[in-house]
Amino acid sequence: MTDTSQIHDPIAPLLETARLVVCCGPGGVGKTTTAAALGLRGVLMGRKVIVLTIDPARRLANSLGLEELSNSPQQIDLAANLSHVPDSVGDGEFWAMMLDQKKTLDDLVKRFAPDPGAFERAQNNNIYRLLSSTLHGMQEYMALDKLHDLYTGGHFDLVILDTPPTKNALEFLETPSRAKTFFDERIIKWFIPNRQKTGGLFSRIVDPGAVVIKLLSKIFGETFIKELTEFFETLEFLQQALQTRGEMIDFIMRDEQTHFFVITSADPRRMKEALFFHEKLAELGQKAEAFIINRVIPEFSPGDLDDLSDTKLVDVVDDLPTSELGPLRAELERTYLALSKLAVRDREAIESLAKRIGAASLRRVPMLGQDVHSIEQLVNLSSFLTPSRPVHA
Amino acid sequence: MIDPLLSRRLIFVTGKGGVGKSSVTAALGLALADRGQRVLLVETDTYSAMADLFDRNLENSKVATVRKNLDIVNLHAEDALVHAIKQFVPSDRVARTVIQNRIARVFFKAAPSVNEFSILNMVRHYLEQKNGRAHAYDHVIVDLPASGHAVTYLNVPDTLHGMVRVGRFAQISKELGDYIRDTSKTALVAVCLPEEMPVNETIELADALHDTLGRKLTTTMLNMVHKQPFEPTHRELFDVLRESVPSHAPNKAHEASPLSRLIHGNALALDWYERDLIYVEQLRERIQDGVEVIELPMVYEQTGIAVLEKLADYLNGKWSDSDSLAS
Repeated sequence: MTDTSQIHDPIAPLLETARLVVCCGPGGVGKTTTAAALGLRGVLMGRKVIVLTIDPARRLANSLGLEELSNSPQQIDLAANLSHVPDSVGDGEFWAMMLDQKKTLDDLVKRFAPDPGAFERAQNNNIYRLLSSTLHGMQEYMALDKLHDLYTGGHFDLVILDTPPTKNALEFLETPSRAKTFFDERIIKWFIPNRQKTGGLFSRIVDPGAVVIKLLSKIFGETFIKELTEFFETLEFLQQALQTRGEMIDFIMRDEQTHFFVITSADPRRMKEALFFHEKLAELGQKAEAFIINRVIPEFSPGDLDDLSDTKLVDVVDDLPTSELGPLRAELERTYLALSKLAVRDREAIESLAKRIGAASLRRVPMLGQDVHSIEQLVNLSSFLTPSRPVHA
Repeated sequence: MIDPLLSRRLIFVTGKGGVGKSSVTAALGLALADRGQRVLLVETDTYSAMADLFDRNLENSKVATVRKNLDIVNLHAEDALVHAIKQFVPSDRVARTVIQNRIARVFFKAAPSVNEFSILNMVRHYLEQKNGRAHAYDHVIVDLPASGHAVTYLNVPDTLHGMVRVGRFAQISKELGDYIRDTSKTALVAVCLPEEMPVNETIELADALHDTLGRKLTTTMLNMVHKQPFEPTHRELFDVLRESVPSHAPNKAHEASPLSRLIHGNALALDWYERDLIYVEQLRERIQDGVEVIELPMVYEQTGIAVLEKLADYLNGKWSDSDSLAS
């Protein structure tokens, strides 16, 4: 099989001009690390890049060699982490942050609150408290809000967004409409009391026809519905702001400088998930512009063992204790056979993916023996992503 | 190896995305079924890994028998919600009316944690399901979302109980929460890989479980642990060979000689083995006392169900990992 990797480079031209790259795909394929490597590639092109992860696990920090990432952008000091910073970096900057959904929601409420007391009222509301810290339904929405800030803030040339594994990432793409639904005016009016009327809070929401509300309160209890009513009342002022943002984010997602990359590994099951993701993107009116296949086993072949049958290890190296060469060779061949069968399985999976989506958007990254846990290693990994732009470190 | 799980009727399996959580869940199901336990594997995802692994077409929320003693179901939130609503209203017809109502639909779709509650409520239903006078299932194994979301998921009953303090709904939430926190009834299994980030995440999960639910993991399963490619006594000899053969970049193997590929394939396998050793050790050191650590060997050569059967045999002590490379 010919390696076409030297011929085309689907990623470098996109990284040069993109304003937003959304990295999606199944879990455990090195997605977050790849997102960081893509960001670093952008920095090496002289751009100001921020990598945003919305994954609740603290992985990005790990691959950047940092202890922890916070909810605000943190700059990574390249000079302190690289023996030599390439000239191509120029004015480029490398930033990273992890989403803290509770803090983001708090910031949002503070910013849009009509009076200082509104934030305090929100904090005392059970639903707000649970919603912002415990329940994960709002998390994707909060990520979009942060994304919106970074994107429109003006400082960064490129935002790299790392998304959670498949299922959640799909939710994430559907979130603008979901959030709009949550804050749908027609729905809120059922819960928000009419200020002209008098009487108890609960009696006010039981308008004629609101049988469903009655039923909901029968199921969830009156306390819950009362809290929910208060919650909607507290957040009423947020509704317009959030709705406008949801629409703007839809707009950002459809911008021609926004690109979707699917990151996967060559394992046949991950490939299948990646394909599922590819189809889901299409359903949402989006297109995956590059498929990055991580951890590809080198091109080992079981047939090599036949070709080697006439080769004697003793001819390769002199002065070896020959008595042990035989047993070692048997072990080496056993391991190699197992590995090469895995390699063949991976290659077949890649070929079948190439048939489905076209070889031109594929990018293979070889399996490395070590994990990435320093910027130096990240540079090494990133060199496989954009082979047309080698690093001259 | 899986004896601690035999006494727990409810088993949750979680782990960082991509560690082979679903494969290990399936292997665990096969292992328990092989011991004569009646097992139901529950998935809560739209994308069913079990359908792939067992090569079956699964209808949403329909229980299918894939082996003797082993059933699987891919539970969809909306079906679980209908089931939950039925518990609170007089008839199916009313339940359907509620679900179809526009306001109620929006409420259920947008209000966080309704899906999780409905699914856990359905899991409880499976646990209580009777076949004659006996339980229909000895074990219900739930393939949970990735570990980042698992604690939130498992904490949903307590969260809801915190919001709704009285009534039938509150009672169900409380019972679910109590069941999940009871270490003698519910086992929590974390699947992990011998790699830096999965190990970190497993430790974070264990800590978060302790802080949020006040309980420990039962077992951690380290998946795909690489064995040494050759006897340690051959190491020196191998190093001499390695230095005598020209090296090549990992993506240039096709340009190298077969001998070079043979040696560098083994060098890669040696790297993996040595890296795995470090992380296996790290996990054992950092995980709380009393949490069992099971190492599952990397199974080469086979794919699909054959791998799962091997792992199930391994869990039941029927297959030794010293055979893992020779298999």
